[in-house]
Amino acid sequence: MDSLKGKGKGSKGASSSSKLDLVKEWTNWSLKKAKVATHYGFIPLIIVIGMNSDPKPHLFQLLSPV
Amino acid sequence: MADLLPPLGTAQTDGKTKVDEKVDYSNLPCPVPYEELHREAIMSLKADNFEGLRFDFSKGLNQKFSLSHSVMMGPTEVPSQSPDTTIKIPTAHYEFGANYFDPKLMLIGRLMTDGRLNARVKADLTDRLVLKANGQLTNEPHMSHAMFNFDYMGSDYRAQLQLGNSALIGATYIQSVTPRLSLGGEVFWAGVPRKSGIGYAARYDTDKMVATAQVASTGTIAMNYVQKISDKVSLATDFAYNYLSRDVVASVGYDYILRQSRVRGKIDSNGVASALLEERLSMGLNFLLSAELDHKKKDYKFGFGLTVG
Repeated sequence: MDSLKGKGKGSKGASSSSKLDLVKEWTNWSLKKAKVATHYGFIPLIIVIGMNSDPKPHLFQLLSPV
Repeated sequence: MADLLPPLGTAQTDGKTKVDEKVDYSNLPCPVPYEELHREAIMSLKADNFEGLRFDFSKGLNQKFSLSHSVMMGPTEVPSQSPDTTIKIPTAHYEFGANYFDPKLMLIGRLMTDGRLNARVKADLTDRLVLKANGQLTNEPHMSHAMFNFDYMGSDYRAQLQLGNSALIGATYIQSVTPRLSLGGEVFWAGVPRKSGIGYAARYDTDKMVATAQVASTGTIAMNYVQKISDKVSLATDFAYNYLSRDVVASVGYDYILRQSRVRGKIDSNGVASALLEERLSMGLNFLLSAELDHKKKDYKFGFGLTVG
């Protein structure tokens, strides 16, 4: 009985710490993905928002150096 | 906190000598944001001197949208072991930028050739709440930073909450106490070096002068004073003392805003004299000359640049 109780406590302890670890892991993963998305997508986002604002500039104006 | 007393003293004499000016304490102006407390002093004393060549070209496609191309060539400083020598490595880079300015949303992005992205976002969430985000993202792991600020602007106060990566939390609050005096404080807690700090600041401004003082538990005590001599000339002086590391710096600077040019210069108690000249050659064409002489370290930096658009 004591060993079963001990095992029960042990497994409960393991699951609560693994929940916290899961949440930490999930936030780390999502932050990493958000960082990569921002790194690649921020400038294109500004360009898309800018090209759709009024008055709409031409694609030629975006690419030409003048 | 003794540095706060002199400004209050001058406030009393000003009040007595003026004509019946009643202070309406329920209608005080909104104070300057906490991080811009010493903005007039920064304009004269912390001008961005650079070394080497700088060329900025900015092209507006729209009222709100513009692209910018920058080329910078010159030595960049690398921190060295001994404080007497500086190590400089010549670098050249090109930076592409895109800006979008809207009354409610501002987006600024700059991307360098080595993959570093510098992003700034300012969004008005409501009439009084502004979200500002600032990030430097790099390809190297663990070298990126990001900071998010939520600013709330009340009728005569401003409050700000800051959240940064690697568990940095800060809050600042500044309140107008009289039409000329505003007092504020800040607290921050940094997770990685487990440090927390608290600081206080005061700002007293009139039409002709601005005086600010800041004390922080990180050991810095900074006071500065700016006097506006005329529309074109203003003089500034600054005193910074760190009571933990026993560093003292005092500097005096000037800012001349002329019709076609702007000259800013300063001299330091560390033996550094610097100046920056911005000259408007014609509409949209600006010429920059920068010089910084560090007599103590024998480090002389000169730079020139051109800004188009």
